[in-house]
This record gives sequence, C-alpha cells and structure tokens, in this order.
Amino acid sequence: MSQTIQLPDYREQSAKVRERFRALKQRPVKLEVRGLCREFESASGTVKALHDIHFNVYRREFLSIIGPSGCGKSTLIRILSGLDEPTSGSVLLDGKEVRGPGADRGMVFQGYTLFPWLTVKKNVMFGLEVNGGSGCSVEQDALQWIELVGLSHAKDAYPNQLSGGMKQRVAIARALANQPKILLMDEPFGALDAQTRAQMQSYLLQIWQNVDVTIVFITHDLDEAVLLSDRVVVLKAHPGEVQEVIEVPVPHPRHLGQLITPEFLSTRNRLEELIHPKSSGEEKRLPIPRMTQVGDDVF
Amino acid sequence: MKKKHPWFSIRKPLSPGGARLMTVLSFLGPLGIWCLVSYTPFFWHPDVKLEISADRDDTPTVFTFDDHLSKDFFPTFQDAVRSANSAIFESRETAGSSRGSARVIRRANLKKLRHLGPLAVKEAWIPRDKENDDSAIYQLWMDMAKGAVPNVSKVLSAENMEIVRSNAELMARYGDRNAVSSLPDVPLLSLIPQGVSANPSYLPAPHSVFSAGYDLFLRGEDGDAGKMHGRLMHSLSIVFGGFFLSCLIGVPLGVFCGTYALFSRLFEPFVDFFRYLPAPAFSTLLVAMFAAHDAPKIALVFIGTFFQMVLVVANTTRQLDVSLLEAAQTLGAKGRHLLGRVIIPGILPNLYNDLRILLGWSWTWLVIAELVGVKSGLTEFIETQGRWRNFDQVYPVIILIGLIGFGSDQFLSRLSKRFFPYLNPGKREPGVVERLQNWANEGRIDPIAEKRMKKP
Repeated sequence: MSQTIQLPDYREQSAKVRERFRALKQRPVKLEVRGLCREFESASGTVKALHDIHFNVYRREFLSIIGPSGCGKSTLIRILSGLDEPTSGSVLLDGKEVRGPGADRGMVFQGYTLFPWLTVKKNVMFGLEVNGGSGCSVEQDALQWIELVGLSHAKDAYPNQLSGGMKQRVAIARALANQPKILLMDEPFGALDAQTRAQMQSYLLQIWQNVDVTIVFITHDLDEAVLLSDRVVVLKAHPGEVQEVIEVPVPHPRHLGQLITPEFLSTRNRLEELIHPKSSGEEKRLPIPRMTQVGDDVF
Repeated sequence: MKKKHPWFSIRKPLSPGGARLMTVLSFLGPLGIWCLVSYTPFFWHPDVKLEISADRDDTPTVFTFDDHLSKDFFPTFQDAVRSANSAIFESRETAGSSRGSARVIRRANLKKLRHLGPLAVKEAWIPRDKENDDSAIYQLWMDMAKGAVPNVSKVLSAENMEIVRSNAELMARYGDRNAVSSLPDVPLLSLIPQGVSANPSYLPAPHSVFSAGYDLFLRGEDGDAGKMHGRLMHSLSIVFGGFFLSCLIGVPLGVFCGTYALFSRLFEPFVDFFRYLPAPAFSTLLVAMFAAHDAPKIALVFIGTFFQMVLVVANTTRQLDVSLLEAAQTLGAKGRHLLGRVIIPGILPNLYNDLRILLGWSWTWLVIAELVGVKSGLTEFIETQGRWRNFDQVYPVIILIGLIGFGSDQFLSRLSKRFFPYLNPGKREPGVVERLQNWANEGRIDPIAEKRMKKP
C-alpha cells in the first residue's frame, strides 16, 4: 500500500505544542509510578507481567496507557487503584504511597459494575454514603453528577434497564461523585458498539474539560488513545515495559472531527508501528485459492 | 397469516394456548392414568374382591386384607369349596349321618348361611342393621329359593342359585318358624366364592380418596376436620420451626463462610462431613437429648437442613461477582460496608431462591421427624391409617403435604418479584388474578430459574 498523503513526523512539534507540554510538565505531579514490577507465580515459573515501569501523571492530564494484549495494562491499573499490589516499586499519589483501594482514586471498569439492586441515583450516592456523607446533601450531590452525565431522566431506573453507554455514564458519575484525585478507567468503552463508543468519547472529553480531574485511561483502541490523551504511554509485552511515551500534538479542545487531521494520523501511525511493528504497512494475505467462475469477478 | 407454533421446536416457546394446555395436562395426565386404572375393570385389576367368601379346611388360608385375593389364586379357592361340597354330597348319600355332633354341624351350617350376609347388605336384600341377624338371613335364603327376592339370579352365579335351592329345600325339611334353632344336623352346602375384579387395596380409586379427603379436612361436624387441622398446624410448626432455626444460624454462618476465608476454613470442612451423616440416624440421640416432645422433631429437621444450608449459602455468597466488591472498594467501602452494602444485598435474590429450595428439603424431613419419639401430626395419622390399611385415608394427607409445599413455593416465587423488582424491571407488577392467568397461560413455574437459564 502506498501512502497517498505525506504526513509530518509526529515529533515535529510546533512551538505552540512544545509550549503546551512544557506547561503540562510544570504542573504538580498527581501520580508518580516508580520502578513498578509485578510478577505472577505460575506452574511454568515466574511470569514478569510488569517490569520497571516509570511515569508521572500531572494534574489535569489525560494519560492513556496502550499496548498489545498481555502487556499488563490491566495489572498496571489495578495496582494504581490498589486492588493489586506490586512485587516491587511504588505508586505515589500526591506524594503519598498508595496502599489498598480508596475513595481518592475512582475507577471505571470495562464491565460496568453497577450495583443491580440500586437505582441510578442510589448507585451514585453509594460512594458518598460509605464515606460518611448523609442526608440531603448526598442526594443533591448525586443528582448533580447524574445531570452532568445527562441521565437526569433515568435517575430512578435500575441498571439493567439501561443501555451499555448509559450504564457506563452512571459508572463515571459514580466515580466522579467521590471527587477523586485521579480517575482510573480500565477499557471503559471496550464493550460498547462503535457509535456509542464515539459518543462516549465525546462525553468524556466534555467532562474532562469541565471537571477538575486527572485521568489515567487504559485502552487498546489507537484512535481513542490519540483522540483523548495528552500523552500516551506505550507498553510492550513480555515483560511489560514502557516502550515510549508519546506526546500527542493534536490541539485542544479535542473533538471527533480531529480524527482525520495530519497531526492525528501521524501520531496514530507511530502508535501502530510501536504496537504492531511487523504488520505495519503490509496486509497479510490469506491462503485462499480461487473458487469463483471466470467472469464472476467482483472487481 | 397466522403465526405457526410447531409442537416440537428446539428451545422455542409454545403458543400461549399450547403452553396452557401442557400445564393443565401435566396435572391431568397422572390423574387420568389413575382414573383409567381405577375405573376400567380390564385394566390391571390383579385382585378379586370377595363378595361371597367361604370357610375351607383343606386349603391353606392366606389372609389378605379387605377380602382381596389374587386372581391367580381365586380359581383354586373356588375349586376347593366345590370339592368340599361334593364331599358333603357323598357323605350324605353314603353315611346318612355325619361325623361330629349335631350341634357342631348346626353351628357350621349357620356359618355357611352367614356368608351371604355382606352381599345381601350390599345388594340391599336386607337392611344394614340386620347383617348379623341370623333369622333375617335364614329368611333371605328361603325367599331366594322361592324366587321372592329381585335380581338374585343376576348377582348369584347359576351354580350358587342351585346351592341356594338345594340348601333351602333341606332347611325346609327341618324347620319352620323358629328357623335358626332348627337348622339341619346334616351339613349344608357352601356357597362357591364369588367376587369382582379389583385393584390392590394400596391403590384406592380417586373418588374414595377425594371423598375421604373431604371428610377429613373440610367436613366439620364429626370433629375429624378439627383434629386434622390441629395435626396440620402441628406439622407446620415442626417444619417451619426447624427451618427458621436453621436459617437463624445457617444463613449468617454461610454468608460469613462465603465472605471470609477464615470462617470457610474453620467451618466448612466439618459441615461438609456432617452433612453426610444421615439425619434420621440421630433420632434416638435427639430424643435422649431433648425428651420426647416437639424439640427432637424440630432438631431433626434442623439437622437435615442446616448443614446443607451453610454450604449452599456459602457457595451463593462466593458466586457474587467479585468486580462489584472491587468497584465498592474503589468507591471507598471497607469491611462492614462491603458486607452490609454489597455482599448481602448482592446475594439476596439468590439467597431467597436457595431458602425456597431448602424449605422444600425441610418438608421431606417432616415425615421422619414426626416418627421420632412420640409420633405426632400428619405423619401419625398416615402411620396409623396405613397400618390399618385405610389407604384411602392416607392419600389425602400425602396429597395435602404436596399441595402445601407446592403452593407455598409458588407463593414465595411470586413474592420474589415484589422483593426484587430490579430483576425484571420495566414491567408493571401484575395483580393476583393476572398472575394466576399468566401462570396458566405461560406455564411458567419458576420465573427466576428461567431468568437464570436465559443468562449466558
């Protein structure tokens, strides 16, 4: 396949973009990942899922983590949330080491994980209540977050009355209601159909632009990573290591229309090269013999 | 075009009418077979129910309950009586006088006359209160011989009519007015046994079971109904007493076992072992421990359900989606909150279903429990009537237990919709009548189980 458009190198940053990333790195470090290793014991010996991972997440940054399957993306985010523990290394949130899960790190899972016995409103109130909130203010707070994700009409519905996209919006509202220091999202739109996913990406951008929240976002969708992120951490598998941290030059505010801009495409191509180095540029041929009649060709 | 609903299509619903028909048939089918076996004489009917019996001295007597003889044996029995009769004929001709004293012979003769009694009452030839009145029976014999009794020749075989005439002729020679005391001192002929096809007494006909059930539970006058209600209440108190007691301890313990590895390791191995110990084996021990009142019975139901309950509840608790717990943790829930706000509400619908099934288990322990120590409740009635072979009294009680179990389970399953509205949302709660209709229409026995099956 020959390239029809000559794309600029993604590293060729304009002065404006350079300035943006310089400013970003001046912001306080929200989350610091230092020398993180995670090994699993299995029958065939020790498997290194993550090896010596380093990166920082700055305040209000949108950071994506991307990598081939089996690179330990999910293990990494589980460690960040406190649901899993590193074999060595540490995770610092606002300079304090993370121990176990807590309300200061909100998490949105791929499989919705709404409480089926609670209505949308009660689901969103859950975090506020277990953290000691009570009474009217909790309900007011919850309703506000539900409104923010555009689900006021469904506040009394039960989760299994909602579509996948709606469920995930409730999950986001539920996580944000705790006003966490950081929002961890583990392939949150992975189970959604393409249209809903695009819509959810747009919603998430709007939320992120208007709410004071730092987001770490795991995905395997390259478009999604480039469209949403300030920076993309590319992991490689066996062992899971940071391969490269890419600064996305696509200007803010982001919107779905940027999917075909040169900056977008060049960044995306670079990611493609990193993640699928062999297949890049070349289509794999299937060993299919000709089974049609002569004159029956479709092209 | 009318939508087609084939009868056999894999994992597709039947048409509403078809589904309703099948539901009705599932109950009518067995009832129909029961009626068929009971009311068609050529179908099964392995026994002969004697209408006229006979004493016999040269045939081994096999006692069968309720005058039932097997069809195989009946001809042998008849032949034995026939040959006894011909011996009597011979003895009359050869010896003139017979063995034994006249008094003994007269008593034997009287017995032979009395064999007609039950049939005579059944055919209303004599009133019921005259069944043991010897002079009435004597009169009947004489009237029958004269042809003064209607329908006799239809009921009695030609062979027996002959015997009636012959005996009456002999009796007429001896006595006139004071008939019973002037029976012949010559042996009379025995009536040849006669009977009708019958099913074994352990399978009474539906109508007799239902009428017995009506008398037992619904007819208040003769006091039976009151007593049966008392028995029923007593049985219910045993079942529910044992069940609630085991819920009281078993549910919390099961939830703890499913939640904390500590409890699981500490209790489950022993509970797993103990559940294999047969509960009835503890009956004598329980009586020794709790004395012979209701306590050992409740304890037996407890033993029968508790150990299963702990394991089932623990398992249900473990099946709760762990991601819900993780989500709750990332929202800041810890310890008590996780248990009270996630685990318990999360398992509640499945727990409810488990308890429904376990309640069914405790019903099965009821019968054994009520035999422990002093027999009581419905089981005592079943036992006693069963020993007397009043099986038509036994069946209504068994059916009643089934109806209560089935009914309460249906009720609880309907109720679960109210308790857990989030399981099938978007539907208006139907009223009682509508629900019955739905049930009949769709043949849905257990909406929750169905829902579970549908889930991947």
